[in-house]
Amino acid sequence: MSVKYVPVQWGRFKVIYDVIAITMIMGFLWIFVNVTPGILNHDPAINPQIRNMRAFGSCAFFLLTAILMIGPLARLDDRFLPLLYNRRHLGVLTGFVALSHASFVVRWYFVFSPTDRYEALLGTNTAYDQILGFPFEAFGIFALLCLLVLATTSHDFWLKFLTPRIWKDLHYLIYPAYAAVIAHIGLGALQSTENPTFGVIVFLCASLVIILHLAAARKEHRTADAGVSSEEYASWRKLFRADTVKEGFARVARLSNGERIAVFRHGNRLSAIANACAHQNGPLGEGRIADCIVTCPWHGFQYDVTTGQSPAPFTEKIATYNLRLRDGYVEVDESPNPYGTVVTPLAIPTPSMS
Amino acid sequence: MSDKRPFFVGYLPTPRELRLLLISVAVAAITAFVVAAWAVGTTQDNPGDGRLRFDLGRQTIVGVLETSPYPMVHVTHGTDVIATGETLMLAGAGKFGVEPHASRVDSPVVEVTGVLLNRGDIRMLQVPNPRRNLKAIDGEGPSVNSKNLGRWRLAGEICDGKCLAGAMRPGRGIAHKACAELCIEGGVPPVFVTTQPVADHEFMLIANGDGEPLNSELLEKVGVYISLEGELIQRGSLAVFLANHESIEVLP
Amino acid sequence: MNLVILFVQVWGGIGAVVALVFLIFGISRIDEDARGALSFRPLLIPGILIIWPLVIWRWWQLTGTTTTSVTRSAPRESHAIVAVVLAVIVSATLFTTEAIRQEWPSHLAPIRLDQAQ
Repeated sequence: MSVKYVPVQWGRFKVIYDVIAITMIMGFLWIFVNVTPGILNHDPAINPQIRNMRAFGSCAFFLLTAILMIGPLARLDDRFLPLLYNRRHLGVLTGFVALSHASFVVRWYFVFSPTDRYEALLGTNTAYDQILGFPFEAFGIFALLCLLVLATTSHDFWLKFLTPRIWKDLHYLIYPAYAAVIAHIGLGALQSTENPTFGVIVFLCASLVIILHLAAARKEHRTADAGVSSEEYASWRKLFRADTVKEGFARVARLSNGERIAVFRHGNRLSAIANACAHQNGPLGEGRIADCIVTCPWHGFQYDVTTGQSPAPFTEKIATYNLRLRDGYVEVDESPNPYGTVVTPLAIPTPSMS
Repeated sequence: MSDKRPFFVGYLPTPRELRLLLISVAVAAITAFVVAAWAVGTTQDNPGDGRLRFDLGRQTIVGVLETSPYPMVHVTHGTDVIATGETLMLAGAGKFGVEPHASRVDSPVVEVTGVLLNRGDIRMLQVPNPRRNLKAIDGEGPSVNSKNLGRWRLAGEICDGKCLAGAMRPGRGIAHKACAELCIEGGVPPVFVTTQPVADHEFMLIANGDGEPLNSELLEKVGVYISLEGELIQRGSLAVFLANHESIEVLP
Repeated sequence: MNLVILFVQVWGGIGAVVALVFLIFGISRIDEDARGALSFRPLLIPGILIIWPLVIWRWWQLTGTTTTSVTRSAPRESHAIVAVVLAVIVSATLFTTEAIRQEWPSHLAPIRLDQAQ
């Protein structure tokens, strides 16, 4: 977008989103820290410092679980797409909660000693050769580092600077981070807890994340038509019948190199563009089209499907593809046009009124 | 996908058809977090009854100091809450022990001031600033009775005596393992908590078979439920377990 | 372990220098949207401290060319693999940690190994 950067881009929707997210976090911490000790009624009570570690640690885990549920939910049902719109803010908040957890741990378990606190954190338990009693802190440090990389590179500047591809790849660190968090909890807290409740909840959360991701991957695999490459015409690929594309929508097809294109129907004409938005590689084929302009379902970036260019004043460009019609079937030239190349839409015969 | 399906664009007003769903999601998310906080918060294990007895005030006792394997004092002149004849383990403030100062005290008889920590039978004196609070005084100490209680295989857990006795709640287990190791390395006496009492002792000070402070093999197993063999010795009222690290078995 | 801490300090130190130079001189040359926009720059400091080698690499790349390339395929393509790997690792981890979990062995009695005297 050709707009000057601001520290945080808030809109009405994002403000409401953030208020809800902060309510979730504050509600969780307040109940854990202030309400439950009275109900437990231990005498003497759990140390406030240890209670804080547990409150912030478990809160970060639940936030991470929620964040990892949003993506697949939106892939499975597009009505959940609004949850994706401001997911980055949720991620930054999670980074802060996780950092607070680490800070409580370091400032209680690794201080008041003759050894420097960070040296103590890294050097006290180094029995990496045993599973039981493994230095599970290492998994926590790794996960925290990942979360900090994600949180500190969440500004739109980074997206443009690193390119969406590298930025998205970098943000895939969320997955190793989640696996590390599970190992951190499993080898730490769950080993020294008698009551099974937290263990059961962790198991349920992890299962939910896994099932949603597998379901979304399955759906994603099914939504794109693979098409058939035509030996007759080297780079042309046969896709689907032209009349199967609905007015105002796209059909997504997978090319032989694995890339996806979106074939839009606007009026009785077809236009093909790359399926990945230039912003965060959102699925353009799931966007809406009006007057040749498609709007990305993720963050509302727009492109003219006949040119691959964002309407002025914006400057984003994506690849366009050439189409042709053979026996009622759409065929695509697999080699993309340069970004922002104008392509005359392919007229398709109006269905006969039968 | 139907043509009427609402389409959300972040910077435009949210479609009316989506509002109800989004409000439901928000309410569900907040409720889930509240319920989760409740569920996890109210099922925390009881950390036990160990505590720092600031309520009893500072205790000043006189006794015979012994520094091997870890500092302890055999009380010859107690207080209302510390009986004469009792043997107390000594620790410094935080994760410090009273060493190396204790070894430099050139008299067997000392006057010690500190705060009591106790959990059941486990009793320890926290002596902040040992230079000031652990002083040699004149006098002859009575000889401390020592008795060999035999060779045993015991099951249980190695803990740092101070956290276990109430300096941290909870002060045992694997989540607390690194802290416990740090305490023990800092000179806090480690204890072995047994599954069942041995010769009337539910816990014992633990050290290497050669009477030295814990070696790294034993430290590695802090917080893990193990069984191991060793010599059990009674020093004053305290049991001392001189453990052989080669006999460690991690329990299933 | 001192080495790890030293490494972190050196890494952060270089990052701080990179952040300073990049945010004062570099950023407005390689990104027109950043020209005249100052208030957002401090927000970038933590990120630069952590991933400064990537910053230098992109900075160098962007100074060399005028066009930025946009990918046509999304990282979502690899999502299926990630989902399966995540499922396997997380399940295996939870299974293992549950399998090794110890119960307090209160049934184990102390065993006297020598003859009582």
